[in-house]
Amino acid sequence: MLKCVMSGSQVKVFGKAIQALSRISDELWLDPSEKGLALRSVNSCRSAYGYVLFSPVFFQHYQWSTSVKMNDTDMMLNLNCRLGMKSILPIFRCLNSLEKNVEKCKIFTRSDKCKVVIQFFCRHGIKKIHNVCFQESQPLQVIFQKNMCANTLVIKPRVLTEALVLFTSSQEEVTLAVTPLKVCIKSSNEESMDLTNSVYSEMFVGPDEFDFFQVGIDTEITFCFKELKGVLTFSEAIRAPIAIHFDFPGKPMALSIDDMLLEANFILATLADEPSRASSLQTLCLSQKQKRSEPIHSKAGKNVTSKVPEYISRKVEPKRLYSNETPTNISTLENCGSPLMKRVNKGITEVPKSNGDISEVPESSVSDTEEVPGSPSLRKFSCMFFGAVSSDQQEPFSLPFQSLATASDSEEDMNNGSFSTF
Amino acid sequence: MKFRAKIVDTACLNHFTRVSSMIAKLAKTCTLRISPDKLNFVLSDKVANGGVSMWCELEQEDFFSEFQMEGVSAENNEIYLELTSENLSRALKTAQNARTLKIKLTNKHFPCLTVSIELQLSVSSSSRVVTHDIPVKVIPRKLWKDLQEPTIPDADVSIYLPVLKTMKSVVEKMKNISNHLIIEANLNGELNLKIETELVCVTTHFKDLGNPPLASKNASQDRNSEQMAEVHIDIRKLLQFLAGQQVNPTKATCNIVKDKIVHFDLLHEDVSLQYFIPALS
Repeated sequence: MLKCVMSGSQVKVFGKAIQALSRISDELWLDPSEKGLALRSVNSCRSAYGYVLFSPVFFQHYQWSTSVKMNDTDMMLNLNCRLGMKSILPIFRCLNSLEKNVEKCKIFTRSDKCKVVIQFFCRHGIKKIHNVCFQESQPLQVIFQKNMCANTLVIKPRVLTEALVLFTSSQEEVTLAVTPLKVCIKSSNEESMDLTNSVYSEMFVGPDEFDFFQVGIDTEITFCFKELKGVLTFSEAIRAPIAIHFDFPGKPMALSIDDMLLEANFILATLADEPSRASSLQTLCLSQKQKRSEPIHSKAGKNVTSKVPEYISRKVEPKRLYSNETPTNISTLENCGSPLMKRVNKGITEVPKSNGDISEVPESSVSDTEEVPGSPSLRKFSCMFFGAVSSDQQEPFSLPFQSLATASDSEEDMNNGSFSTF
Repeated sequence: MKFRAKIVDTACLNHFTRVSSMIAKLAKTCTLRISPDKLNFVLSDKVANGGVSMWCELEQEDFFSEFQMEGVSAENNEIYLELTSENLSRALKTAQNARTLKIKLTNKHFPCLTVSIELQLSVSSSSRVVTHDIPVKVIPRKLWKDLQEPTIPDADVSIYLPVLKTMKSVVEKMKNISNHLIIEANLNGELNLKIETELVCVTTHFKDLGNPPLASKNASQDRNSEQMAEVHIDIRKLLQFLAGQQVNPTKATCNIVKDKIVHFDLLHEDVSLQYFIPALS
């Protein structure tokens, strides 16, 4: 059970976090723990992940108690609370007026009722109560070693915001090119773009404009603009500098904000630097679906939601951006697929949430390497390492991309027994 | 073909930005004609544009501190470029507090107008350079004849326009009732905007507007100054024209050729704009 209390100005920061996460996805996981209250969001293409952790010190009062069920294994249950952005975003819409009017905000939950209650105690004795139903769903985590990235830039959000004003909203992607001497932000050069009509913009930022500037390798990464804007607005609101961690193209980049009271990490996939970017992420997701839909349907847990149709309308822009070819890595598709399959095979739901325990996601112990559907495009994948917790997480993966071309040999893969029914 | 120009004065830069936003509102795609003394934004009266045409002219000396151009050839010392108006206006908008703005014609895989902006940084005294490459299409000489300055028709009535903002709000509301607008005026300083449907007729009367002296020689002294000359036009075209005028012009005249065409002649400080809306057939 979660119970926390915030003041008006804390509500504003909380609301800003939700707004930043809303740029990533239509769903929000509320994930309280003894470390604090985490908000998580993943987009449908699995190319962007957002995580904001409010430490207990952020709140005026923070209380989290788990109800331990009698199970075979004794485990700390998570709240498993997934909220629709459509329900929660309007509550935190007018943040400036909330900051002025709200004296105290209480948020509490009761997992037995699947409801989150948000109470605003406002001036003049007005009390506003919002009851938001949630769906039980285990949150995803992404394991990303941002400290191992070759390049780290820390910059005040104002500078980046000024830069981003230059780019028109019609451009989805932006490229960041760095050398030890300078940083260039420019519109991305996709061949498939309508070059004859789009404006190419570029600007340079000198190393002295950064609070911290470490460039280990000269590189150019391309990523989605929209998500970056959301993070910038959030970081401006809390007046904290934003750190950008990245490596070579294709490897995800991290945008993080570290404050005493909160920690935010946004992991975005980047475009791989290679000419034949054939696949769209949809083919990838389809394969994920094929791999994962089996367990979902057969598991028939109460967690299988009927929210699937929403995924169709959501952000299904062909994110060709996120295909990846890093021949040196084993396709991380398998990382996502197989360990999950293995766990499901064992019928485990009680695997404790492995916070940062990379061993849970073995990078190379993939027995199903050969089973990856033949089409080379399907091996391409945006490098996201998911600390998969349980098969309950399947629903986010059940992406009903309906009319996608199936890899021709995928059916054989399905039938060759690597995915057993259970 | 060469073109390089530079603006260093903030007021000129802002004015130029305003002109380009106005053009962006009036025409999605337009032609930029560059000649040694002038810059023109042209929209020709093709069917694709709904018969609407536009001619906007500015003297380059009024804006640019440096201006060099070399046209297609010595006898045809002009450059005609087709571009998406909004691209230019957006690029210019990013130059709000710029120290300098440079525009030049370049060829980066395809012809571009490169807008290069030197911005003063808010935090330090140094500056940052931002460039935008706007793709353009060079228009071949054989098509130039369609893009010449339109001849001003002999108007039946010439009248000064009322405050454009007022006109715009009236026309906006009328648009909800009908697409067919009658614009009429007389030599007595009266202008009417009328819509007629089966159920309702709405007329807005503007009085005491004043008439400029009629230039045409066969100006009728015998014409009754109360007699209205009218044109039936598509209200949306008028609305698009009015929406483009963010600032009230220095001078605004409306010339009506009965049942043929409405010609708007505006002057925004030193930039002249002419806009032609044909009658509904």
